[in-house]
Amino acid sequence: MQTKKKIAIIGTVGVPANYGGFETLTEHLIEDLGDKHHLTVYCSGKKYAKAERVKEYKGAKLTYLPLDANGIQSIPYDTLSIIHSLFYADVLLILGVAGAWILPFVKWFTNKKIIISIDGIEWKRDKWNILAKWYLFWAEGLAVKYSHIDISDNEAIQDYTAARYGSLSRIIEYGADHTMKVPITTEAIEQYSFLNNPYAFKVCRIEPENNVHLILEAFTLTDIMPLVIVGNWDKSQYGVELKEKYSKYANIYILDPIYNQEKLDVLRSNASLYVHGHTAGGTNPSLVEAMYLGLPIIANSVSYNKVTTENKAIYFNSLETLIHELDNIYTSKLKQIGIEMEQIAKRRYTWSHIAQKYQLLVDEALAIKTKIAVMPEISTLKNKALLNSGLAHFKTFKSF
Amino acid sequence: MTFSTLLPLLTSLILTILIIPVLRVVAIQIGLTDKPNIRKVHATPIPLVGGIAVFAAATLSFSLSMTFDPTILIYKNLFIALVILLTMGVIDDRFDLRASFKLIVQLLLAHYTFTVGIKIESLYGLFGIYDIPTWGQYILTLVIITGVVNAYNLMDGIDGLAGGLGILGFTMLTLFAIINSHVQMTVLSLAFIGALVGFLKFNFSKSQKIFMGDAGSLMIGFVLVVASIHLLQISTTKSNSAFVLIGIISILLLPVIDAIRVFRARLKKGKSPFHADRTHLHHLVLSMGLKHRASTMSILFMVLTISSVGFFLYYYTNTNLAILGMMIALILMINLLQFNSQIQTWKEKIKMMEANY
Repeated sequence: MQTKKKIAIIGTVGVPANYGGFETLTEHLIEDLGDKHHLTVYCSGKKYAKAERVKEYKGAKLTYLPLDANGIQSIPYDTLSIIHSLFYADVLLILGVAGAWILPFVKWFTNKKIIISIDGIEWKRDKWNILAKWYLFWAEGLAVKYSHIDISDNEAIQDYTAARYGSLSRIIEYGADHTMKVPITTEAIEQYSFLNNPYAFKVCRIEPENNVHLILEAFTLTDIMPLVIVGNWDKSQYGVELKEKYSKYANIYILDPIYNQEKLDVLRSNASLYVHGHTAGGTNPSLVEAMYLGLPIIANSVSYNKVTTENKAIYFNSLETLIHELDNIYTSKLKQIGIEMEQIAKRRYTWSHIAQKYQLLVDEALAIKTKIAVMPEISTLKNKALLNSGLAHFKTFKSF
Repeated sequence: MTFSTLLPLLTSLILTILIIPVLRVVAIQIGLTDKPNIRKVHATPIPLVGGIAVFAAATLSFSLSMTFDPTILIYKNLFIALVILLTMGVIDDRFDLRASFKLIVQLLLAHYTFTVGIKIESLYGLFGIYDIPTWGQYILTLVIITGVVNAYNLMDGIDGLAGGLGILGFTMLTLFAIINSHVQMTVLSLAFIGALVGFLKFNFSKSQKIFMGDAGSLMIGFVLVVASIHLLQISTTKSNSAFVLIGIISILLLPVIDAIRVFRARLKKGKSPFHADRTHLHHLVLSMGLKHRASTMSILFMVLTISSVGFFLYYYTNTNLAILGMMIALILMINLLQFNSQIQTWKEKIKMMEANY
């Protein structure tokens, strides 16, 4: 009978989940792991008003810090959470590398196990200024070197960490089974007239990295079906300009953010095509959600998206290729892709599956001393010894 | 600063502006140009006449500015050495001489300088050492002259860098020459400043661009180091000499440390120290995404920062700590640049990995 361990979950905004991927993940983790271990989740006091705060949620203890979990405050937020957790936890499950600078000390002076998620190569993202990029680049190195297990959310990122650090990252993606196929109601049609006919759908943050401009332009040059696109247009100059430019096109529906899950799922689950322009961030939650809903996918051909969709979707890497693909789709092809996407999602992107992977990682972290290296054991043998045994060819990995 | 003080500067400036257009045309005719290749940053052949122009203008201005004084003739030996160095440089620029040959010539000229009487006679308080024995003086003089000349030569990688560094160096020398009441050195330094300013005008120009070539960088490096050594010899008080020492080191520290760093890194990789790659300081600064002129300014700003650190520390502590402080400041800056260069490298690697899945 396994004893219950104390796990601290650090680096998220908190639960109940209102925000992004990490928070939804945390909520599902505490649901699935709550009876196996004692969980504590650190939450941002800035996002949960004093009146609505609770001491316990779904069996997990909640601790609030008077700091923002994102932005520059994430550094003290994560750091203080880590230090606080050292007093009771056995395993630290850290989401994001903001507090990674303190991990060497944790590794050297305590026997706490560290599992850290390095997200999606954050230092490369355009949204950060140069100082943030420098810090994140350095912190990522510390996170990988001083943790017992590091996690990324995509196989392509695993390739990167193997190349840069020589160690094996684990892959755990996101679940999508919190989304639902919602049938169309008369009220919905009254509000959104396009629901009666086929349409392409996209929901994302309005950022250049997500190729919003390219997709909008492509749909002005093809008449295959209208595009419905939901996002936070007014949050940036980029968004404001796009909204102004493309609102006047009859076959493009520009919608403001929809926070109600059911309302969003009405629009999303009844679409005929999902367009995914993301070029960064590893496995995108919005993509796996679209897959789970059985939507045919046309995605940017960056390695992360191909991995997420197991190379079975349609891909584009420029305006021309996107238009070309759009003009060449037909109903039966889309149907087949949609079925395949749904199968992949049901196999890989459910929360119980994800939580189970975390459960196994926790067990492994408690058992191992050092991280698994990518290089085979043979690489540690000296050249001379190999030469003497006539096995010097083993020094070259390319033989295999 | 009175007009007569600035006269040597203005004279050489005007002379340079007059001479260079003529030299440009001649150089293109005889093929004395820098042909572009994949490692270099320019795209069309550029005349390598900066060295000749600066030398001619500076020496002409110097002789015009000084009333004839027989003591000048002690410098005639150095003048000859400079001419030899410049000539070798021009031949190297046109016909490419072997590195070993150039090194031997430099060693011979350094030896010659020693015999003329310009040598490093003392460490002026560095490591607590003052006077050093003759054999030590000889080795040190040869090593320093050859080392600095080559380090300065390696600095000539982007427009305005070697020229700008030279101006900073000669400005420092001018100040120290004035403090030590050495008229000839003051005039010489001013003459070189003016010539270098004139050179930079063309170096930065788009339509009439010139480079100084190996001829120029070797010659200027030589003048800088030999003039510095001589200034140290004739500095009138102990604190003056410490001041001069720190000032000189602050200008020359960057090129020298960069050269040592790059050589060491190449040797570590199993390559020859002369193996061409893009790891010099100006390459690192360029990889930060700055344009050429901004990169040059950044490096010159780094030098000024190092000088400030040095003088600040000297004022409050002593020579040794000042030099230690300067080295730490420089190493910190280089580490930051190398860190950034690492980020750029990985960015490109990841881009390739993302596109080639």
